[in-house]
Order: sequence, then structure tokens, then C-alpha cells
Amino acid sequence: MMTYTRDPGVPHQKLDEETIVVDPRTREVHLFNETAARIWELLASPATVDDLTAALADEYDAPAAELRASVEETLGQLRDKGLLASQGGA
Amino acid sequence: MSAEAPVCADDALLAPPGGHQMIAYLQKQAYTNMVPLNVSLELTLRCNIRCLHCYNFDRDTRGPACGDGHEAPELSLDEIHRVLGELREAGTLFLSLTGGEALSSPHLFPVMDRARDLGFAVQLLSNGTLLRPGVAARLASYRNLTGVSVSLYGATPEVHDSITQVRGSWRRTMDGVDRLRAQNIAVRLKAIVMRTNAHQVAAMRALADGRGLTTLIDVSITARHDGTDGSLAMRVTEEQVAELYRGPLADLAPKKDRVVSEAAFPCNCARGNCAISARGDVQPCISVPWVAGNVRQQPFAEIWRSSPVFQQIRGLKMADYPKCAPCPDKAFCSRDRSAAYNASGSYTGNDPFVCSVAGIARKVAEERTAAAAVSSAACGG
Repeated sequence: MMTYTRDPGVPHQKLDEETIVVDPRTREVHLFNETAARIWELLASPATVDDLTAALADEYDAPAAELRASVEETLGQLRDKGLLASQGGA
Repeated sequence: MSAEAPVCADDALLAPPGGHQMIAYLQKQAYTNMVPLNVSLELTLRCNIRCLHCYNFDRDTRGPACGDGHEAPELSLDEIHRVLGELREAGTLFLSLTGGEALSSPHLFPVMDRARDLGFAVQLLSNGTLLRPGVAARLASYRNLTGVSVSLYGATPEVHDSITQVRGSWRRTMDGVDRLRAQNIAVRLKAIVMRTNAHQVAAMRALADGRGLTTLIDVSITARHDGTDGSLAMRVTEEQVAELYRGPLADLAPKKDRVVSEAAFPCNCARGNCAISARGDVQPCISVPWVAGNVRQQPFAEIWRSSPVFQQIRGLKMADYPKCAPCPDKAFCSRDRSAAYNASGSYTGNDPFVCSVAGIARKVAEERTAAAAVSSAACGG
């Protein structure tokens, strides 16, 4: 199973209720929504889709399938933006 | 139009294409919520060149190590590491590392390591002369480095080196710039315009353009923080300002459509910006040495939240600036807090030279408007 972690060198900070992520390589500044911000936080440590879905299930009152889809979509976007560190099978 | 929450140029993320709106939004959030989103950290006062205009101290009369035995030592690496943790907790994202010459500090790379681990976006301010091949490559390894701002004092070695008082410095600076570019590090050339290089402004801009670099033009030369004012001899003259605004800086001269509302008048200092000096003094800006507290004596968050200096700055209204509030030229004024503070000793004071520059900008703008009207009438007629 694939594990994911955020690129530890990517600058980020919370400002009020929002999470800012800066990518100096692409000169992009991202403002994350609540779910993406929580996933980004969880990705401080390596995690699988199952780990992330389970963590969100403890915090959000939503069907597991919906949460899983949200996790996969967010991971896809983070990967496409180059904000995740190398991943590997576990 | 002026932004609601102006950002000090040195504290801004280096020109992110397409990111200006987002940056403006973040800066406004920081300003409104008083979060120290941008912090300049002076790593050392040491410098390997001896610029005639230096605002720190007179580098001809004091040693390069900058200590005379009567002042507090510069922050140790352990102290800086602690402060970085405090800044992170307080909400800082954009960290500018400066000096003196930041690359002359033995702490630079350990600080860069810690800043990366804590999630700061780092900008380095440098004179560029110490950017040897290995240094540029090492800087390129930092994923969190947004870029390097390199100071330039002339388009030719003769002019630049006469200001730094170090022969060969222009060549080393430009080599350093090229090494950064070779490593794909964003570079901004900060061209400091002075009496002896004003004739090279167009050439300095061309130098930057030719390398695909962004440029920041700065005409601000202030009295020094050690109380001396020899630096002021390097200031451009009023005649030079007029020539520049009519010529090579016409595109940057203040325009008449700038609105100075009550909300737009204060700058971001003490609201979204601050600076920490090499000896730990917390200031509204690195070039405004009005000390709000010292990180050796108080946690940063406590200084940021409750220092009387910062509280006073946050409470200032336009009417508290006695010379500026009624001034008819304020739409054309840079309102340079650094020059004002260092000239008058007061944050709400003024620098007569800056006032003169605003008047010149207004006159040039009026000339331009009149010329456009004549041209329009000629075309229509």
C-alpha cells in the first residue's frame, strides 16, 4: 500500500483559520480548504489512504466512501502540485 | 491605486508570477489580524564590503566585526534557533535573512536548516560577493528558498566598487548572480540609486533585464543607526531625482491616481511585519531602530502582542503625522518611515528630503498630464 508524506521542505503556515502553502519552485501560493488543510497536517508523518480516511472519520460526520474519495482527490492534487515527498509501497 | 496594507519591499516574496493577488490577500489578513507574517532577521552586522551609504554604521571608522566591546554580542545560534521557534508559533511564514552580509555569518546555513524544518519561506538578502560556486549550489538545495535579493550599486565596476570601497566587488557580485541563476534560484537585483551612480540607472536596469532578473529600484539613503550621517552625502540630489523621474525612472514615478486614504496611510510594520536585529532587538522594520523589546529578555510573542512601541504604532492615525496629514503631496510620497525616523528621531516625523522628492514627483506628473493634454488636442485638431 502506498504511503504519502508532505515534502518536508515546502513552506507552510496557518493564518487565522486558513492554511497557506508556498511552493518556491513554481512561485505558487496555495490556500487550502479545511479538508486539505487537515490532510496536509496529517501528512507530517507518512500515512496511507486508509490512515487518512480513518483519521478524518473520527473528526467528520460523513460517509466513509465520501471521505475516502475526498482523501484521494486531495492527494492527487498535492501530488500533481509536487508538494508530496517520494512515496513508496509499504 | 495604493494597496490597503502596503508591504515593505524587502519583506515581500520575490515576484511570484500570478501570485500577487494571493500575496495581497494574505498580507491584508496579517495586517487585519496583526499576525507577524513577515519577519526580517539580521544575522550579523559584519560585512565584507564597506559601503559609503551603509545605514548600520560608519564602516570606515569602526572595525568590520562591528563590535567595540561595549555592546551586547550578536545572537548566538542557540538563541536564533529559539527565536525561530517563537516566530513559527506567532504565525511567521516569510523570513528574510539579512545583515550586514548574511553570508558572512557562520550561522547562515544552520539557520537555513532550522528555517526549512520549521516551514518558513526564506528570502536571502546579500551583496552577492560571497556567492561562490559551492555556496550557490548549497543554497539551491533549500526547497524553501524563495530567492535572493542582491544589492547593486552600479552598472560598471568603477562606479560600484567606488561605493563598496572594495575593488573587484562588482565582478564578484555579478558572478554570484550568474551562479544563482545557473542554479535556477530566483534573483532580484536591488539597485540602490545614489549621487554617484544615478547616471547609470538605465544601464543597471538593462543589466537586470538582460539576465531576465526582476529589479527593485531604491533611492532611499538614510542617516546611520550609529548616529552618524556621512551616508547622506551619497543621496541623490533633487536635480537628479527630477531627471530620473523624467527619464529612466518615468515608469516608476508616483502617479496622480494614487489614493491615500486613512486605511492606506499606515504601513504594514508592527501589524504584519517586523524585524529582529543582530543583537535581538525587535523593531518595526530593520531600518527603523525603534526598539520594541529584546528577544533575550522577553519571548517574541509577548513583545509582538504588548510592547508599548508596537501598540503605539498600531494606534497611529494619519492625523498623528503632523507634517504628512495636511501635505498636498502625500499622494506622490513614498512616506519612507526609515528616512523619517532616522532624520527626525520620531516615527511620525518627516525627512525634508523625502518631502522634496514628493514635490518633484508631483511636478513631473503635472508636466506629463499637461503634455498629454497638448498631444491629445493636437491629435483631435
